[in-house]
Amino acid sequence: MSHQIIQDRREFLKASIMAFGGAIMLPSCLRNYTPFLFFTADEALLLTAICEQIIPADENGPGATQAGVIYYIDKQLYEVFTWEQDKYRLGLTAINESSLELFSANFDMLPTDKQLLFLKKMEGNELPDSYWKDNSASGFFRTIIQHTMQGFYGPPRHGGNKNYISYKMINLDYPYVVGRNLYE
Amino acid sequence: MKRSRIIAIIFIIAFVGFFGSYSAWNAAQPEHTCASCHEINPSFHSWQTSAHREIKCVECHGTALSNGLHSLQEKGNMVLMHFTGDKHSADIRMSEEQILAIMDACIRCHQTEYSQWASGGHSTTYGRIFLDESHNQMEQPYWDCLRCHGMFYDGTIYDLVEPVSTSGPWKLKDDQMAQRPVIPCMTCHQIHTENDPYGQFAQRLDHDHAEPVVFDTRFPAVALYLRSDKQFLRADFLPGVDFFHNGQKINVSDDPLQRLCIQCHAPNFRREAGSEDNRTPYGVHEGLSCMSCHNAHSGNARNSCVNCHPATSNCGLDITTMNTTFFNPQSEHNIHFVSCDDCH
Ligand code: HEC
Ligand code: HEC
Ligand code: HEC
Ligand code: HEC
Ligand code: HEC
Ligand code: HEC
Ligand code: HEC
Ligand code: HEC
Repeated sequence: MSHQIIQDRREFLKASIMAFGGAIMLPSCLRNYTPFLFFTADEALLLTAICEQIIPADENGPGATQAGVIYYIDKQLYEVFTWEQDKYRLGLTAINESSLELFSANFDMLPTDKQLLFLKKMEGNELPDSYWKDNSASGFFRTIIQHTMQGFYGPPRHGGNKNYISYKMINLDYPYVVGRNLYE
Repeated sequence: MKRSRIIAIIFIIAFVGFFGSYSAWNAAQPEHTCASCHEINPSFHSWQTSAHREIKCVECHGTALSNGLHSLQEKGNMVLMHFTGDKHSADIRMSEEQILAIMDACIRCHQTEYSQWASGGHSTTYGRIFLDESHNQMEQPYWDCLRCHGMFYDGTIYDLVEPVSTSGPWKLKDDQMAQRPVIPCMTCHQIHTENDPYGQFAQRLDHDHAEPVVFDTRFPAVALYLRSDKQFLRADFLPGVDFFHNGQKINVSDDPLQRLCIQCHAPNFRREAGSEDNRTPYGVHEGLSCMSCHNAHSGNARNSCVNCHPATSNCGLDITTMNTTFFNPQSEHNIHFVSCDDCH
């Protein structure tokens, strides 16, 4: 555990430059914090409400919100599924616009039955066409379902399934309790 | 003035300027420095809600200068990622060397726990675990050994020990590893806790759910580091499993801290209490948690008896001198498993 000290001048210069670099770039990244990499806070709220309808918390266990599905989708859109970014950005806007037209409120403010009704319409491509020119409502809905399932059941290192909560729900002992099997 | 003089003066000004701004940087509040970089932002926010929120980043992480080039390299990479837009930036992880360097900081403030840990079995080293002749002859070292000791090791078993077989002699590829602890503080303690920043959003989701969604606000003191996942899992989320003795299910304490212990002090696949390294009590102490008797850090259990005895003795005797492994390690009555029938 020895603490290394900067040994020679070349390394020192390297160090200085890096530290300066750090200080100089500082102001460029001062901004309001959200825990998300891709979504805005409002987008995240809306999508969370949708995911929670797909996997709601009930007597069987936690729902998509508690499993942190939103973090999975956010992380994947930022790191991996970059080609889906537009689909989400436009799609979420279209959902809110459609919701405002049909129910005069943002989707996440609707009561559960209205949210379900809305999602059924979305699945059947029955939302106002004018908002869905660039994006298929039913296609986007299927994408969300897929991503919600992945985020809920997939391994936590991808962002979702917080605290392995879905494994617990299906009674999967994780991490598996087993010894070193020395003598067997 | 000579040219070399001018250069020297410029150099000195730069030097002073550098150290001035650098120490200012380190003394400032983290929200204005470390955390202003979004790669570090998640760590900042988890720190903010943790037990260590009063303690500055540098107290544990050192500064670029005191922590050596390793950390500089890391910071350099972070700057690089910031500008190149490398998308995996959110997954900054510490190397084992860094984990151990941070442990020096833990020790400064938590002397008691440290000396207890150092006196107990958990301060065991790579040398002891991987160069044990009889153990290696019985079972060759393989990747899974690192699950329970050596979880922060950065390489594979082939980088660590040779030969990877049941016939020695064995040696560590890097001699210096021999004294390194395999179960450092961070095996059981997560500093950047995962308090859910989502709590605030969830409150706005006023649905008529069957069950209200409950969010944690405080993190328990203990979590296990899972090498396989490079993640911590808090003790209360570890699985509590059923244990058996002679085919019968036994009572098991539901203490989350015991769930931590049995991850390593684990039974065979039939989950027989007392098999392999397991010590889940049955008999007179059935249902007690490891923590009722053992100190978490030293492992000492010898001072615990007085918490319950003699008040609860059935035999009217001094339990410390009865025929159990507590009195005499050679006794056939193991303190974890002894039952009334064994003596009566
Ligand atoms: C009490 C000691 C302590 C303090 C204070 C502390 N850290 Fe950490 N930090 C750790 C430890 C230990 C780890 C290794 C992983 C863990 O335990 O969560 C770590 C890991 C990290 C990581 C790597 C990401 C990860 O989760 O492995 C970053 C980045 C980080 N810390 C930044 C910060 C910043 C920024 C601050 C100040 C706002 C800070 N730390 C304060 C102890 C500390
Ligand atoms: C600068 C001093 C300092 C350093 C360094 C420090 N701690 Fe602490 N730690 C504290 C204090 C003070 C508390 C009590 C906080 C409280 O009660 O809210 C504490 C609390 C804790 C707790 C109990 C947490 C809880 O949730 O109740 C644990 C476990 C712990 N520290 C482990 C560590 C580890 C591991 C490290 C090294 C990574 C470390 N500490 C480094 C000062 C420090
Ligand atoms: C399930 C977790 C686990 C795994 C996997 C595991 N060990 Fe251990 N190991 C332990 C525990 C727990 C102890 C302490 C046992 C005790 O003191 O009762 C231990 C103790 C040891 C000891 C000290 C002497 C002894 O036998 O008690 C050695 C040496 C050792 N392990 C080597 C290994 C090697 C080599 C491997 C891989 C082939 C391995 N272990 C795999 C948990 C594990
Ligand atoms: C094998 C797991 C393990 C290791 C390794 C470990 N601890 Fe702990 N630690 C625990 C447990 C379990 C508790 C909770 C004890 C309790 O609640 O009775 C704890 C509690 C603590 C507390 C809180 C004490 C209190 O009274 O609230 C501190 C501080 C702490 N540990 C520091 C450390 C330090 C420093 C190290 C490294 C030298 C360390 N621990 C290593 C398991 C561990
Ligand atoms: C990360 C794996 C791990 C966890 C978690 C763990 N242990 Fe251990 N424990 C070990 C290993 C490995 C050894 C043996 C070290 C050796 O003999 O070199 C050990 C040794 C011990 C010893 C001393 C054994 C002896 O022969 O001196 C006791 C007592 C003990 N552990 C109790 C506990 C308790 C109680 C807990 C829960 C708070 C716990 N352990 C959690 C791995 C673990
Ligand atoms: C009724 C009190 C009690 C309970 C409960 C208990 N232990 Fe022990 N344990 C002891 C005593 C006493 C010793 C012997 C210590 C000594 O002689 O220093 C011991 C020794 C050990 C040892 C050293 C090897 C051995 O068998 O001598 C390990 C490992 C251990 N205990 C692990 C555990 C674990 C893990 C749990 C929980 C599953 C547990 N113990 C529960 C009292 C207890
Ligand atoms: C958390 C409480 C607790 C602790 C700590 C504890 N015991 Fe016990 N022990 C009990 C209880 C309760 C019984 C009686 C069980 C019954 O009646 O079925 C018992 C019974 C016994 C017995 C059977 C004989 C008798 O007098 O009943 C022995 C021997 C014993 N304990 C030894 C020890 C030793 C040695 C220690 C310290 C290492 C210890 N115990 C620590 C709760 C405890
Ligand atoms: C480690 C061995 C041991 C264990 C375990 C043990 N006992 Fe005893 N017990 C004794 C001894 C020795 C005596 C004294 C016998 C004598 O005086 O002849 C005794 C005495 C007794 C007595 C008579 C007390 C009296 O005043 O005459 C009763 C009743 C008793 N035990 C019940 C139990 C019960 C119930 C358990 C299980 C909870 C138990 N014992 C566990 C060793 C044990």
